[in-house]
This record gives sequence, structure tokens and C-alpha cells, in this order.
Amino acid sequence: MKKGFWSSSRVAVLGGGSFGTVIANMVAKNVAQVSLYVRAEEQARQMNSTRMNPSYVKEMVLDEKIRAASTYDKVFESDLDMVIFALPSHATRAQAKIVARYMKGHELVLHATKGIEEQSLKRISIVLAEELPVIRIGAISGPNLAGEIAKNEPAATVVASPFHDVIIAGEEILSNPRFRVYTSHDLIGVEWGGTLKNIFAIASGILDSIGFGWNTKSLLLSRGLAEMVRFGVAMGADAETFLGLSGMGDLIATCSSNQSRNFRVGYALAKGDKLDEVLADLGQVAEGVRTTRIVYEFAKERSVEMPITEAVYNILQGKWTVEQGVAHLMTRPTVQDE
Amino acid sequence: MLVDPRLNPLSGSLIDPTTGSHPAVRFETHPAVRGELYNLDMRSYRDDVIENVVRRTTADFKSQDPRLLLEETLYNERLRLRRSRTSPILSPHVANRNKRDVRFIGRIQAGLKSTVSLDDYQHLLKDFGGHFAAEICGNFEPKMYDFAIKFVPWMFDWILNAASVKRFIPGVSSESLQSRLRVVGEVEHLQKLAQKGTILLVPTHLSNIDSILIGYVIHLMSLPPFAYGAGLNLFSNPVLSFAMSRLGAYTVDRQKSSPLYKATLKNYSTEILKRGIHSIFFPAGGRVRSGAIESHLKLGLLGTALQAQLERYQENSPNPNIYVVPMVMNYHFVFEAASLIEDYLEAAGKHRFAPHDGDAQIPIMSLARFFWKLFSKQSEVWVRVGRPLDVFGNFVDENGFSLGPNGTTIDPKKWLISGGELKAVKQRDREYTEILGEKISGRYRAENIVLSSHLVAFSLFQLLRKQYPQLDLFRFLRISRAQRIVPMDRFYAEAEKCHQMVLQAVDQGRLHLSGPLKCGDVKIWAEEGIRQLGLFHDVKVARVDDQTITTDDMNLLYYYRNRLTGYGFGKIDEGLQSKKFFGETDEKGFLV
Repeated sequence: MKKGFWSSSRVAVLGGGSFGTVIANMVAKNVAQVSLYVRAEEQARQMNSTRMNPSYVKEMVLDEKIRAASTYDKVFESDLDMVIFALPSHATRAQAKIVARYMKGHELVLHATKGIEEQSLKRISIVLAEELPVIRIGAISGPNLAGEIAKNEPAATVVASPFHDVIIAGEEILSNPRFRVYTSHDLIGVEWGGTLKNIFAIASGILDSIGFGWNTKSLLLSRGLAEMVRFGVAMGADAETFLGLSGMGDLIATCSSNQSRNFRVGYALAKGDKLDEVLADLGQVAEGVRTTRIVYEFAKERSVEMPITEAVYNILQGKWTVEQGVAHLMTRPTVQDE
Repeated sequence: MLVDPRLNPLSGSLIDPTTGSHPAVRFETHPAVRGELYNLDMRSYRDDVIENVVRRTTADFKSQDPRLLLEETLYNERLRLRRSRTSPILSPHVANRNKRDVRFIGRIQAGLKSTVSLDDYQHLLKDFGGHFAAEICGNFEPKMYDFAIKFVPWMFDWILNAASVKRFIPGVSSESLQSRLRVVGEVEHLQKLAQKGTILLVPTHLSNIDSILIGYVIHLMSLPPFAYGAGLNLFSNPVLSFAMSRLGAYTVDRQKSSPLYKATLKNYSTEILKRGIHSIFFPAGGRVRSGAIESHLKLGLLGTALQAQLERYQENSPNPNIYVVPMVMNYHFVFEAASLIEDYLEAAGKHRFAPHDGDAQIPIMSLARFFWKLFSKQSEVWVRVGRPLDVFGNFVDENGFSLGPNGTTIDPKKWLISGGELKAVKQRDREYTEILGEKISGRYRAENIVLSSHLVAFSLFQLLRKQYPQLDLFRFLRISRAQRIVPMDRFYAEAEKCHQMVLQAVDQGRLHLSGPLKCGDVKIWAEEGIRQLGLFHDVKVARVDDQTITTDDMNLLYYYRNRLTGYGFGKIDEGLQSKKFFGETDEKGFLV
């Protein structure tokens, strides 16, 4: 690599939600220019003039190297070295189809989406590989609550890709004294870790809402992790990946913080609110709701044992009450030693 | 869109109605196309190539201790020579080579005694590399080469037509090869790309016969000679050796296992691809033991395509691209089926690696017998040229541009830029090659042509399998003769069911059909398949007596049936149908 290549590079971040904005700000510290794609023209204009993105991240001033734009023509005006997707899972394929025409082939791609494509059950990196004229693709995943990073609290993430190129680039453009980057080659494990933990975040919100204590929470976390590993390994991931920042780490953060959207969904649901209303109130995407259904159906079809996921699914569907769910989990037959 | 009138609606490919092959395949005698390899001044070419290969190999090992490397290579070589001394199947050709190797090693060892500095070791190592490179490169005698080019096509015509039984029946004109050999698929595309860049042909490998057949098929497609890595054993047969020269063969000795040899071989491949010489190698390494479409490819040699293309970019070559063209060959019977499947079962049963390809010669008589059988029994050989790929596994259009998703074209050069520079990056290139390998094995399955005999074998095997579901594969293959008899009507029902399953897969573009299978009447295609199935063997792989069908050899039945593994047919047939497969990878064999 040429010395200082990344510090003079241009990067695009697609998605001006909370995490997209925070990532753009971090990246801006390490590169020459960041284009931030947002959907609404008004939002772009406001961000460029006020240097804030108040509807998603409060009180964070945007780095001066960030330029928000609402058209891909503007985002891809000059040659880019890296494109970061920070879009909800259901929007990724459609946007990638459009972006494909703008890309030249030398760009590296990262995504920060913690979810999977419905129906096909494809990981986001696979969706991107199917739509973009590039193949050097990776993921950013870890316990990264946008609000905390915006306040510059110390944190870390995992950048995963089969390609060293992508991992090194991720390290170069994301690292700063308050943000560490760990690396992994197990892209499958990292993506599934970030996806699956959302199910347990909902469960955790439910438990908090009822007012259960730490015994119950620990029970959820450790048995939830077991389900994540079981499912992940079945999908071709390494079990160890789930013990790291993008598995256990992310699980703890989303299950403990009331900042987490999925947690808030569970919390409100257990208070007796209807799912539609909860989601409408949230105003942002809670990936966990969709993920729970997809994973539950797949695991059932393939007989991967995932009792907590089953309970969360049934509660979300309104088929079980919270009490029924808890009772179901606690009275499962214990495993008899052979 | 304008539809080509020659387009066969059933297979979706271009077919000349008189030959059954692609119209661009020319069966009439025509002069050989000379091409790059022919035009070279062989003597200087050879020295130049060897020098470059040694230079590359030296660079590969520059960070290693030359003493250790030298000792390792010596050890490997001496071990190989000792083993081959006791080998009962050593051909005179190989024995001569071994004698020469012994002399060479003697010289190196003598040299070792007088070495003092690291430079001396470096020097000896270079000698060793040069020795390997010279062996691989072979002796390209321009005179012999010229002769071979003229002789081989004629030899093919002669062998193939001499075996035609109709030749001996008065009043019937000699039936030519075109009725037996079907070459279909992307022939024109391949021809166009051969003008625009360098072709790397990667065929499936079932039989030693493949090597001759490919040489001839290349000739029929009016392509210039290809460089080809042929096993040492093939050179020991003068007839084969000739056919090999026609291909511009270089030597691969699979018994030589030292890292130095392997690196030399790879570097040779890189060197000739970089020089724009069309090449062939079997990416599975050897003949596939199980009879299935290969799924595990050797990435070492495959990676030389990317390396060569990168170097051509760096040197600003006019036609830098290398096109990887998969090719699938299918036979109704495979010469070595019995020993291959035995190897396979032995290896699978004991969980150990399959033995290497032996040095066994192919006797000229059995070769003649093969062709005799092939052409007197009106058997067919199907060759399908697959859709060309670039070195990353992307499809390539007729103009040689790599196709990305959503109507994008990919400039492969951009994929080789890392950190703003066009350069080799080991880890990246290995990853790219792995993706190419997966793509090729996927294409093999998609380009595969189902023959009637394969479907007969598959149906019969499935029918028997369902009768003994409790037996594991090894016990199942040992069921008694009485247990193997099935009433014909049940067989037809199963065959019909399997046919439907295959037709569905054909609709989805997952594989192709051979001519007879396009017939809807199960009795017609099944009869043809039963007749063709392994007809070369001494035993009957499918035998029909009195309203029943049976097999004389379960292993062979399994072997021919395996050509249809990898599509999920077995699972669907046994009622385990499912839309999705467990996980993204199929290490547990769910797809079988």
C-alpha cells in the first residue's frame, strides 16, 4: 500500500441513520473526504448547513469533511476508495442495484447492517456480492450503540472479511484513540452474531419490563448465546466467533442497554402495547422483529433447537402472553444424561 | 430478439442437425491452426522459459534457508526413487527418467560435500530447480512438433474411422466420427475469445482417454495447439505421447512431492500463460475417483491464471486477459471405472487419502480396444464447452469483457488494485482463486450433460437403495445377486420419475440433456441407456432378463450413477424434499 493511502482517500457512507452518521463522523477523522448519502433532500441540506443530524443523533457535530447528499450522482461524483452501507436490511438490495452502476470495481465495501434478507436468508455481504460489481466485501459489527459513540465514549468493533484488503482498510479508516478495531476472517460468524443478538435484545426488554433481576438476565444471555452458536455453526460459522466482540459483546450491549431499539420493542410489548403501535412509536427500524420470524421459521424447518427464539416469536405474534412464554421456557424437559 | 434457426429448443444450444455438434465444430479434414505455440522458436523459447521459471522459483523461496530446502528436496526425491524401485508397474520410460534422476542427485550430493558458503547452496538449489524445470518443459523439437501437428489429426481420423463397423459392411459408406462425438456449448464464444486473449481450458477428468480426446476436440474447433500438463505415464505410450505433443504437452510427475517441484510446476504454468500460450489443466488434479462431477479443485495451479494476467497488465501487454473455460466430458463408459471406484470406496471407507495415480502404462492394445468399442458399438461421447469466465469466475461476454451483476461490466484490472496500486497481494489473490474454484465446480454441474446411461444407473441404484434403506453404503454395495433383481415395470416407473426430476432441473438451467433423453418415452431412452451403460466392461452394469433388470456389478452401477450427484436428486427421490438446504455450505452432504 502506498504510504498514507487511506488518509488521502474518499469514502462514501450510504445511510444517514444514527449509526451511518456516527460512522461517517469516525471515518472523516481518518480520510480526505466522506460523502454521506441520505434519502431526503431536505435532510441533506439541513445536515450540510447546520452540521447536525438531530432526528437521529443528538448533539453530535458533523466533521467538516462530511458532505451529505441525497442523490447517488453527487455521492459518486469523484472516484471513491471505499463504500460503506449503513442501510436497513430490507433496503440494502434495492439500493445496491442502483449503486452498482456507479461503482468502478476497485472500491472496497463494508456494511454495518445487523440483519439478513427475508425469505432468501442471505447475509448482507452475499446480497451485496450479488448486486455489486465488486467482491471485496466485509462487515462492521460489535457492541456499538450509536449514542455512546457519538459522546466519544471508549468502544470497539469487529471488521470481518475473507479479504485482508478490506480488514486493513477498515482498521485504517475506523480506528481512533477512543475506538478500537478488532479483525476476523469469519464473516459468516460476525454477520450472524450481529443479526441473532437482536432476538435476545427483545427478550431482554421483556424481562426488564416485567422487572425480573439479574439471575433471569444472565440466564437469558447465556442460553441465548448457546442458541446463537448452535444456529451460527449450522450456517457455517466458527463457534469461537460468538465468544468475541461481535457475538457475546454485542449481545451484552443490546440486552442491557435501554438505548437499543430492539430492547425498547420488547420493553413496550411486555407493558401490553400492540406490536404495530410500538414499531410506529419507535420511528426507526427494529431489525430484531423481522429477524425473529425468519430465524424461527428456518430453525424449526431444520430442527435447530432455539426455545428462546420460539418464545419471542410467539410473543411478537401475539400468540403467547409473556407469562406463557416464561412458563414455556422454564418448564422445558431437562436433558437427561445418557 | 432474433432466434438463431440452428438453436435447439430443447437444449438451448446451437446444434448442426447433420453432426449433432455445434456448427462451428468442423469434422471435415482441415489444416491445423498454428497459433502462438507453433510460431515460437522452440530452442530459444525453451531456454528462456526454463531460465525464467528458475528465477521465479528462486524468488519464491528467497526467505527460506537454502540448506534446509535443499535437504528437504533431496530427501523427497530419494524417497520417491526408493519407492518406485519396488513398484511393479514401472514403465521403461519412467525407469529411464529415474536413472537420470539418480545420476543428477548423485551430482548434487557430491556438490554438497564441497559447499562452504550459503551462495554455494543457492547455486545447487538453482541447479535442482533447473533440473525440474527442464523435465517439465520437455523436449520441444520443432521438427517433431511440426510432424505431430500434421500426423495427429490424421491418426485420429484413422483410429476412429478404422473402428467403424460399417466400414466392413458393403454398400454402407464408412461412418465417420461425427456420429459418435458430440461437441456442443459455447464453441464460437471460445473461438472468439482465443483471438482476444489467452484461453485456460479446465476440463473435468474421468479417464486417461480425456487427454487424447481434448486434443482432437481442440483441432475440430479450429483452435491452435494448447499447452497441457500430462502425467509422466502418458508419455510412456508412443501413441499417446504423439497425441500429447499435438497438444504441446509438458510433463507433470505426480510422484514428485517436494515444495521445490510444486513451485516449479506452478511457475512454469504462470510463465507460459503470461506468454499468451493457451493452456489446459485438469483443476481436480487427477481423474475423479467417484465418477461424480468434481467439487474439490486444486487451487495452486488455478491461481497461476490470475498471477499471469496481473503480470500481463503490469507489462502493458496488448491482450492481457486470460479466459477460464470449463469443459465437461461425458462417456457412457469409462475405461478405468472399476479401479477408480475401488480406489474411491477404499479411501472413503478407511478415511485415508486415495493413492496417487500410478505409473501404469496404457497398453496400445487396450487403447485401440477402447476406440474399437466406442465406434463399433455406436456409443457416444459428449463434450460440452462451458460459458467462459474471467480469472475471478465472472462470466465473460463475446468481446471478452467481464460481466458484473445488474448489467455492469467489470474491469478486472480494478479488482487487482489494492491500496491504490496494481500489484499482487498473496492473501487477496488466494481468496480470488478460491472463489474461481467454487465458480468452476458450480459451472461443471450446470454444464454437465445427462446421458441416458447415467439416468438408467441412477434410477436402478435408487430403486435398490430404497429397498435396503437400513444398510450403509458399503454393505449396500455388497448385496447379493438375488437381492439386486428388480421387475422391469417398477424400474420404468422409477426411471420415469427420475427423468421428470432431471427435466425440472434442466428447466432451471442446472444441467443439460443428451439427445436421447429428450424423448418422452421412458422405454425408448431407457433401452438406449441400458445398452450403452458401461458397455465396455466385461460385466453387464445393467442386465435385462425376462421382465427383470439387474446389475452384475454394484460398484460400477454406483460409479455411473454418481455422475448425477450434487443436484439433490437422491434426496428428493427419497422423499426428503425441501426448498432450502441446511446452512450455506454443504459439508454434511445434504445436497447429494
